[in-house]
Amino acid sequence: MKPRVMVLRTDGTNCDEETFSAFNKAGGDSRLVHINQLRSGAEKLVDCQIMAIPGGFSYGDDVHSGKILAVELISSLKEQLLAFLAAGKPVLGICNGFQVLVRTGILPGGNPGTISVALMGNDSGHFECRWIKLRVEKSDCIFTRGLEGEVLDMMVAHGEGKLYTDTATLAEMENRNQVVFRYVGADGTPSDRYPENPNGSSRAVAGLCDPRGLVLGLMPHPERIVEFTQHPNWRRGGCNATPALTIFRNAVAYAREM
Amino acid sequence: MAIQTVRVAMRPELRDPPGEDVLYEIRHALHIASVERVRTARVYRFEGISPEGAETLTRQLLAEQVFQICSVNGPVLSGADKYLEVAYKPGVMNPEAASLLKAARDLGIEGLVAADSSREYAFYGSSIGVDDLAAITGRLLVNATVEQVVSAPPRTLLIEGVSASTHTYPIRTMDDAALLDLSREKLFLNLAEMQAIKEYFTTLGRDPTDCEVEVIAQTWSEHCGHKTFKARIVVDGVEKKPLYERLKQATRQAAHPLVLSAFVDNAGVLAFYEGQAILGKVETHNSPSAIEPYGGAMTGSGGVFRDIMGTGRGAKVVASTDMFCFAPPDIAEASVPSGCLHPHYLLRRVVAGVRDYGNRMGIPTTNGSVHFHADFRAKPTVIVGAYGLMPASLSGKGEARPGDLGVVVGGRTGRDGIHGATFSSGAMTDRTVAVNASAVQIGHAIEEKRVSDALLVARDAGMIRALTDCGAGGFGSALGEMGAEVGVEVFLAQVPLKYSGLAPWEIFESESQERMVLAVDPADWDKLQELCRRFNVEATVIARFTGDGRLKVSYAGEMVCDLDMGFVHDGLPESVLEATWQNPSLTEPDLPPPTDWAAVYRRVMGHLNVCSKEPIVRRYDHGVQGAAAIYPYGGVEGDGPNDAALCVLLPGRPYAMVVSHGLNPVLNNIDPYQGALWAATEAVANAVAVGADFRELALIDNFIWPAPTAQLLGSLDRAVDALVDFVAATGMPFISGKDSLSSTFRGRGQTIEIPPVVCISCFGRVADVSRTVSADFKRAGSEIWLVGRRDTSRMAGSVYYDLHGVLGRNLPVIDPAQLPAVFGTLHRAIDTGAVLACHDIAEGGLAAALAEMGLGGGLGARVEMPSGDRPEWFLFNETPGCFLVELAPGTDGVALFAGIPAVRVGNTTIKETVEAGFRGAVLFELALDDLRQAYQKPMREVFGS
Repeated sequence: MKPRVMVLRTDGTNCDEETFSAFNKAGGDSRLVHINQLRSGAEKLVDCQIMAIPGGFSYGDDVHSGKILAVELISSLKEQLLAFLAAGKPVLGICNGFQVLVRTGILPGGNPGTISVALMGNDSGHFECRWIKLRVEKSDCIFTRGLEGEVLDMMVAHGEGKLYTDTATLAEMENRNQVVFRYVGADGTPSDRYPENPNGSSRAVAGLCDPRGLVLGLMPHPERIVEFTQHPNWRRGGCNATPALTIFRNAVAYAREM
Repeated sequence: MAIQTVRVAMRPELRDPPGEDVLYEIRHALHIASVERVRTARVYRFEGISPEGAETLTRQLLAEQVFQICSVNGPVLSGADKYLEVAYKPGVMNPEAASLLKAARDLGIEGLVAADSSREYAFYGSSIGVDDLAAITGRLLVNATVEQVVSAPPRTLLIEGVSASTHTYPIRTMDDAALLDLSREKLFLNLAEMQAIKEYFTTLGRDPTDCEVEVIAQTWSEHCGHKTFKARIVVDGVEKKPLYERLKQATRQAAHPLVLSAFVDNAGVLAFYEGQAILGKVETHNSPSAIEPYGGAMTGSGGVFRDIMGTGRGAKVVASTDMFCFAPPDIAEASVPSGCLHPHYLLRRVVAGVRDYGNRMGIPTTNGSVHFHADFRAKPTVIVGAYGLMPASLSGKGEARPGDLGVVVGGRTGRDGIHGATFSSGAMTDRTVAVNASAVQIGHAIEEKRVSDALLVARDAGMIRALTDCGAGGFGSALGEMGAEVGVEVFLAQVPLKYSGLAPWEIFESESQERMVLAVDPADWDKLQELCRRFNVEATVIARFTGDGRLKVSYAGEMVCDLDMGFVHDGLPESVLEATWQNPSLTEPDLPPPTDWAAVYRRVMGHLNVCSKEPIVRRYDHGVQGAAAIYPYGGVEGDGPNDAALCVLLPGRPYAMVVSHGLNPVLNNIDPYQGALWAATEAVANAVAVGADFRELALIDNFIWPAPTAQLLGSLDRAVDALVDFVAATGMPFISGKDSLSSTFRGRGQTIEIPPVVCISCFGRVADVSRTVSADFKRAGSEIWLVGRRDTSRMAGSVYYDLHGVLGRNLPVIDPAQLPAVFGTLHRAIDTGAVLACHDIAEGGLAAALAEMGLGGGLGARVEMPSGDRPEWFLFNETPGCFLVELAPGTDGVALFAGIPAVRVGNTTIKETVEAGFRGAVLFELALDDLRQAYQKPMREVFGS
């Protein structure tokens, strides 16, 4: 049976349909669920094997990006969420979804309500949409199995993607292999230069997982590169959309074996 | 009630990008050197909660300790030389307020009745003078139309007004002077129209209410009624059909098989594939953008998106475009007329508005352009387009039936935009900013997004009988049009309001954004209401469709409007307008050939109408929805421009929608006939350049003209004739359009007529996206071909001439009859796979196209110029409908392009230079990097990166 993927949407979610399509292409059975359906009990998180929080501007990104949705999740749906995490089911947060996961405290430490990392305004001071290069780091993340060391082309489209935290937290995440993606330059090494590192993230971090490797959050958009014609230079040849699709396939495969 | 104030700022050791951005503008736009550093803070105010409640909100919602500092009821920024807090004026809706209330509710904070947010600035620099601060305040941080400096803390955040009532105008006893007094600055109607209203009510034997007069004025406004386009025209003594009728007739005669809906709905609809349809609409939003560019651009985007959402039984918005005309951003402050905003500010704020609306709503901004000319200094042209996808079976305009409910869905109604329709139709004056402040508002993209989410589900469930957006003219326009055939009765007291105190006519005419009006079968109402609730969308029954053919409006039992629909929609006096046309007296210069070729080439690449607009494009999300199969900029470094957008709308299927446009306003100052042909040809050429088949495309027109005098009406007549001829020659129909005839500025002692703008947008379908091309050169050693007919001696209106300060007279002459062969042959060539890259030749000529292809591909080029031509003409001529094409070596270009003008002009090189040979010698060789720097510099300077 195809694993059920809950693609969560609320006011201002706007990458939900392409995330839905990407999971379906990867073999999942996606469904779009509005957070009000979870709050009313019409839909239940427990009925799904994978949860995805897509990109967008949830509640307009008012106060901070993803903040209002993060507050809603941990104030109104905390029990469902904790049960889902405790069951060891995979969670993916893309862009705004990553911001939500960080602002709930689910990333990086897996402690809802305890925020230890910030995704703050880009150093450039504005929203930015461009293709960047991303290196897959060594980690226990189930989403990137088999991709370690690969460099992927991916699009970023955000105004608040600069990962920032104190040096101790950063070192701890690195020691636990929680850094899943880094922005790299043309030579494949991590970059702190604009625009290779589009937002000024510390240590070029673009994506994180929780210590178990089951919750992944990243600023770039893997769901925008699951067909080769989505690559900006597919007409130049040598472009490959498979690695990004692998991220979704890995989650589906993991959920199927659970 | 007590107000708690929370301030949040970045930790002092961290950078503050918003502050740095302000500092950049202080230095580059205002040229003020005394400010050394700017720090910012967010200020939140909460009414009705305790200090402890504010502490909880601060900890759990407002401030994140990882990177921020905060204070409750105290300062957070310190040590600065000057401080400034900027907030929206009371009554201007702050979209953030609703989120603050929601989060407080989720957190269980009790007693909160109102919330607001604002921003505080701290300026560091011991020599910052009072004048400096005034300039920073007035020209950068505060737009007095919607914002204010907070000099003392507010005592309450609640907005209340004294309820106004309905009154009548004694129109039956007014003489002509009194009628004109009533019209001026309120109704914008002419004397004949005012007299027609007087006559109607004299016959009825009563005076009209304010609501009735307002309804008639907005229905008859140029903005809604398109009086000029519907008038009979006498051109130099010869009577001609109305402009609008000519365009519609051309489309009818073209009888294009893909057209599903043309000129009858909010957007034009074309058949796509597999039972789906695509639709397009392009709007202008010049007047609001001129006085409040951020809000104006936002509501422009929001409005055109709602046009798509409100076509047929409802559509999904899948792409947007934006075309702007501004004065040069470095124009001297003194040459900007009093009452107008500086173009540097306008450009940045309009871009920010388009960015914040489109990005938040998740609509990819896929195509656009920016044009500069000093004559736009009094009023910019802001054109926004939107494209959609819907089932073809639901593309017909819905019809309300007697007994159906009229339902408003989405945002609440406030005093926003009262008189937007009539104001857009009047000329701008230096009093416009002060008098019409209520005509602009701040858009709320998230409201519109959730309305869209809800409506698409409602549509698929069959709950929508008819719908339309609530735009200019508010309910009066939306319900008036929807009920034009059957009649409608509106109950204004049921309309959800943002705040009390609106007079009935204000509720009826309000242009508050993000509202849609639906006709719903009463049997579906409960389900619809439940559905809307799920999406946090407010839906309210405010009207009933009757069957009596009247427009009746009541407020709490009191009748405030009772008009015959026939008079409202057909009572406008028919007008006959006089037009004349005389060619402007212009001369053709005789310029000596350049001596420093490299310098000229660099200046062409750095010309504002050629230079890279990448810093703007990067601020727009052009990848959301995952449909893009070509991006505005592509190539090795992502900095080579492409010609058109391609959107793969059905995931996993090969079909694409293509979107492009063309405009070149300065040409209309020479000859609007050729200028309009240029725009249409350029629009189609851009689509053909990526591989589209011109037989599967349709067009959208936008005319932005000064208030028509006889001569200007004559020029409009010529532009329309050109487009009609274009349709006849190519078979491509116009299926939607809009005119805005108010780009005249009248200030103290000066009248400025903004250059007439014809913007043609083009969209259609492409059968197989894998058979499309981009503009970047693909490999070294390829052949470069020039395709298309051009007479290079015709240089008028070119960038090259502009660099010499001349306009010229001899415009490129386009023969539309030649275009089908060129477009068709090029499409077939691309379809065979033999074409590696293709780029349309436009502003900056062949030289600019060549450089752009090289930049994209990271490859150089060597071209040999025809010995019989003048090199500067060959390089910089701007005849549209011509292309540079890269062919793999060994391809038989002669056979590929048989029957159309095509010539091999050179080849691509591994060496990253552009080398031009002429009569056996090298005329110049210039490094691509040199050209890249010139090309990228202007907009980088405006935008800072």
